[in-house]
Amino acid sequence: MKKSKVVSLREAIRLIDDGDTIFLGGIVEDRRPVAAAMEMVRQRKKNLVLLGTCSLSDDILVGGGCVEAYRGCYTSNGAFGISPNMKRRAEAGTIITDEIGHLDLSIGLLAAMAGVPFIASKTCIGSDVLNPAYDNLSRVAEVAAHKEMLPNQKYVLMEDPFFNMGTVQLVPAIKLDACICHVQMAGEEGTVRIDGSLTFDHYAALAAEKVIVTAEKVVPESYIRQDPNRNCIPSTSVDLVVELPWGAHPGQVYNAYDMDIAFLQEYAMSCASQEGFDKWAEVWIFNENGHEDYINKLGASRLEKLRARPPYGYVPRSKGGVQ
Amino acid sequence: MANKYAKPGEYSPVEAMVAHSARFLKNFDGKKGLIGTGLPLVASQLAKKIYSPNMIIFVETGQADANPQELAISIMDSRLTYGSSWQMGDPEGLFPLSRNEIDFGFIGGAQIDKYGNVNSTFIGGDYNKPAKRLAGTAGAVDIGVFAKTTVILMAHQKRRVCELVDYLTTPGWMVRKWPEGTLVRREELGMQGGPSCFISSMGILKFDDTTKIMYLDQYFPGVAPEDVKANTGFDIDVSRATEAEPVLFDEIRLLREEIDPLNIYKMR
Repeated sequence: MKKSKVVSLREAIRLIDDGDTIFLGGIVEDRRPVAAAMEMVRQRKKNLVLLGTCSLSDDILVGGGCVEAYRGCYTSNGAFGISPNMKRRAEAGTIITDEIGHLDLSIGLLAAMAGVPFIASKTCIGSDVLNPAYDNLSRVAEVAAHKEMLPNQKYVLMEDPFFNMGTVQLVPAIKLDACICHVQMAGEEGTVRIDGSLTFDHYAALAAEKVIVTAEKVVPESYIRQDPNRNCIPSTSVDLVVELPWGAHPGQVYNAYDMDIAFLQEYAMSCASQEGFDKWAEVWIFNENGHEDYINKLGASRLEKLRARPPYGYVPRSKGGVQ
Repeated sequence: MANKYAKPGEYSPVEAMVAHSARFLKNFDGKKGLIGTGLPLVASQLAKKIYSPNMIIFVETGQADANPQELAISIMDSRLTYGSSWQMGDPEGLFPLSRNEIDFGFIGGAQIDKYGNVNSTFIGGDYNKPAKRLAGTAGAVDIGVFAKTTVILMAHQKRRVCELVDYLTTPGWMVRKWPEGTLVRREELGMQGGPSCFISSMGILKFDDTTKIMYLDQYFPGVAPEDVKANTGFDIDVSRATEAEPVLFDEIRLLREEIDPLNIYKMR
């Protein structure tokens, strides 16, 4: 066997440097690397540039003071309201935001994974996403430690010279210093298997310089290689692997567990103010033994109720699921 | 048959909005729709049960032909995965839009203007210090740009239905041409589509064929055209409006008993 990449969460998160341009896998409250985000808050990471979306795990970084700039397309916790820390800091003007579209993010990451500088599309034509007065890209770049990760300009408009599609937008590649994904299964050498939506993970992991995977289960590499067609990220793109059961709680992980609604509601209410977030963080983040203490505090009976019921991948409402 | 209709007061304005949206989706039976988060998910479930059983649902988190067994609470709920034909990621969920495969997009929002532009980014103040920060673009901009048409659903309030949106997230009929930012017709930028219908909690609103300005097409029973005028932020034309067919008991029963028995979406 080649070298195992399995390390502790603390060791893995040491790979993230202040000022990194960072992307967290999953979306909204699904398969978010929450435990990894909490460890970044514990390690007091600073001046991160958040790319992609700002929901559950990302919003914890924003509340924890790790993020100073955001470029992305979504700042909500879905049914639980606008991401409370992002909302508060955006409305106070204490975080730099730069809007892009959902397809911009898709093709920007596609360009980065393909190693091409840009892709042309009509993505945000006609909208205020292209409003020069709201273009904060240069302010975002001021925060980034590696300014070369960000494009020189937000977009260029031109007439489609090939198929006469009218005005198209050149969307620059979205390059990343670091990507952290939480997945159902990883091999010891980093091969990743995802159930449910792949979100952007299969692009972002190939677009990033440093990749950390936290997994519900770490299995022998030989086992996950028995069916390579089912794998979503190759070991060759992954730097470090952490075994982290319940690593996306209070969000959901398909085929593993469902959302912890009460916890998500409590988060939304607690984090309306910075003092509220700080108090919440004292209880859930600043524990002596990190994620282990977090899980023990939640308790086995609470977690068992969240376990997915086959064949569904979640807990059906008839079995007491999400209400 | 007289008793198949429910009377105002026997349902909420939000339930009426969702029921009428589901009815409008009759136009898309057998068609492909990209369905946005929130009440569009609820209305599309109701539509599949009675009006458009062969409607094909795509979701921006990568589900093709999603057939959820129970109501999803967000756009990437595990409930959308189980039963779908194909589950990939967000890029594969959005590429059907850009390759021109999506017949209609169905979205909510926080603000809509007389040209059918929708705002889901911020309200009030400045972009860099908004009075109210919202969810942002997500799929809303992409649906507005690429879908062959869009259907919009939103509660009808004076501050929401306005002259011009604070931030143009989803392009409607008159959109911004950059770098100047002048309002131009979407065709001028080579964009197809455009909103076909805005279903509010008071009625059904459409867009004039010539001016592309919103007008009241139908008002719900219990709502007067003057009420719509009073709750709209611009001088809306109500001269063409007729009363909508009342809400069916059957629609309300399905919403309450089968689709959202736990009132997750707080429709009542």
